Amino acid sequence: MHQEPVLTRSFRVLTGIVLITWLILPLIPLAIWSFAKGWFFPDILPKTWSLRAWEYAFSDTSGVIDSLWLTIGISLAATVLSILVGVPAGRALGMYKFRGKEAVELMILAPTIVPGIAVVLGIHSVFISMGLNNTVFGVILVHLIPTLPYMVLVMAGIFANYDPAFEAQARSLGASAFKTFWYVTLPAIMPGIIVGGLFAFLVSWSQYILTLLIGGGRVVTLPLLLFNFATSGRNDITGAIGMIYILPGIIILILTAKHLSGRSGAVGGFGQI
Amino acid sequence: MKHALKMALLASTFAWAPIGASADTADGGALIGKPWEEITELAKGGEVNWFLWGGSDNINQYVTEFIGGILKDQYDITLNRVGLSDTVEAVNIVLGEKESGVNDAGSVDMIWINGENFRTMKQGGLAFCGYTETLPNNALVNWDNPAIANDFGVPVEGCEVPWSKAQFAFAYDTARTENPPRSIGELLEWVKANPGEFTYPAPPDFNGSVFVRHVFYHAAGGVDSLLGDFDQAKFDEVSAKTWAILNDLEPYLWREGQTYPASIAAMDQLYANSEVNLTFNYEPAGVGINIDNGTFPPTTQGYGLTDGTIGNTNYTIIPFNSPNKAAAMVLQNVLLSGEAQLQKALPDVWGTKPAIEMDRTSADVQAAFDAIVVHPNVVPAAELAKNALPELQAAWISAIEKGWLENVGQ
Repeated sequence: MHQEPVLTRSFRVLTGIVLITWLILPLIPLAIWSFAKGWFFPDILPKTWSLRAWEYAFSDTSGVIDSLWLTIGISLAATVLSILVGVPAGRALGMYKFRGKEAVELMILAPTIVPGIAVVLGIHSVFISMGLNNTVFGVILVHLIPTLPYMVLVMAGIFANYDPAFEAQARSLGASAFKTFWYVTLPAIMPGIIVGGLFAFLVSWSQYILTLLIGGGRVVTLPLLLFNFATSGRNDITGAIGMIYILPGIIILILTAKHLSGRSGAVGGFGQI
Repeated sequence: MKHALKMALLASTFAWAPIGASADTADGGALIGKPWEEITELAKGGEVNWFLWGGSDNINQYVTEFIGGILKDQYDITLNRVGLSDTVEAVNIVLGEKESGVNDAGSVDMIWINGENFRTMKQGGLAFCGYTETLPNNALVNWDNPAIANDFGVPVEGCEVPWSKAQFAFAYDTARTENPPRSIGELLEWVKANPGEFTYPAPPDFNGSVFVRHVFYHAAGGVDSLLGDFDQAKFDEVSAKTWAILNDLEPYLWREGQTYPASIAAMDQLYANSEVNLTFNYEPAGVGINIDNGTFPPTTQGYGLTDGTIGNTNYTIIPFNSPNKAAAMVLQNVLLSGEAQLQKALPDVWGTKPAIEMDRTSADVQAAFDAIVVHPNVVPAAELAKNALPELQAAWISAIEKGWLENVGQ
């Protein structure tokens, strides 16, 4: 009985190390490339170093810095909207049984199953008819299509393990609907909001084809700039923009890390709709 | 969370701000034949959204800084360069807009284009046509040259304006290979003698596709019998030989031909890391740029083939629904100018071949152009041009690409 927690702990530490290695290792060549001027097999390290890729990345011509702020704004907005829609939707799916529930679940999951490229031209024409194309607002809205499934599923998992009796007690003690939500419901579902919000942010952060078509080239997010160079084999500039690109994700991951451990309610209830 | 909301509000107010030019010149018909001063006046203070492949910092800098600078300083036009990973993305935007009935407020004002994408635009009625005579610098273009007047066999007919010329060339590393094969016939033998040292990107990759066409020309015993409209009987005869040659070659390719690189960028990486010993490109000047930016080893040398390599012209096109046609025309006129074509030909800028007749430009431009010393590792355009082969019509090209996928790449 006494040894088991120690074993569990060392196993946890080990998996932690493996995971971090897997996450960090691929980034090392990326970082090296961003300072390299040519790096050929079988050299362990580049023979010539250069700051050219970084100079380009920070130049006005590349537009990377403007694009970074724009991408942060769009992803945060998409995250907030996902939370506003995802919490009530998750509550309905997690707590109530109703006719056609499976169909609703399938509809919500559909964007993660159907390849985006297959529907994006249809979405484009819908957005044009609503006059939403070529705007930042349109891009934020279209990002909700891939972000909502994650948000709703996480919230549905949370609400599946949630006891509404707490709310009833608060109301019977005289709390208003808003106070009940603020002091009872919100703290209980906070881990889910954080985890779902993190998913939503990262999914929005990595959108390419939806942003390109709906943004019509006016809304230039970082993935658009990054893929230009990634597909053309420019490892140095891809490395520099890539390092800038992963930064917000890492910061948010660190800020929310404690909610992502196995003991978090958000992960525990996942998948038990 | 408060911060997030603020950002969201900020972002949405930004979205409602009017985006678009002050001068709306969607009606292209009204611009055709107008005096040039009136067109530049209409374009003044506006913007132009140019969609073009964005994978080269050199090209991006030339377009944004040099061309964008001229537009701003001399015409008060804002150039918005939109980088693409693949030109078809811009064509799809225009196509989607046409299907949704957006006829005068499109998001694309100009695309860098040729070949298949031009055919799609022209046949689909997505191009603004008939205006090229209105551009003053159109006089510098030799429309009597069939290689300019036809884009991959499709007559241009005033629907686009040439920007650069390119001609396919090979490259090898002098530190690794002594005598590279200098014709398609030699190449086929060289590959068998040096197994695992060669591959080509799988068509429909632009560069892989043109390599397969070189083999196709070789199998046909020359290009002459292939020019003109698509001929099914001729295609069946030549393609059978071509697939036999390529399938015969497959076991000697990189990884025994079990897989092909998906793009030219992937093949360039294989070449840079010594996995294969030859590479090629439709843009021969790329060798110099790639050495300078460290993508290729400095011992890389470009070269042409004794039995000729295929050349093409690339163009800029204005979509039918561009709301800034006057500004786009001014941009095209600037691109055609002797100064802009000269700058583009400088080896440290881009090194690409002008699409205009340099002897029709001013004496200063001509002198500067004649004084250009090409990158020592790039095969000179004049040398390549001695053995230039024409492109086939688009119907041939799509049949060859489809046939390769069914018979070789399966």
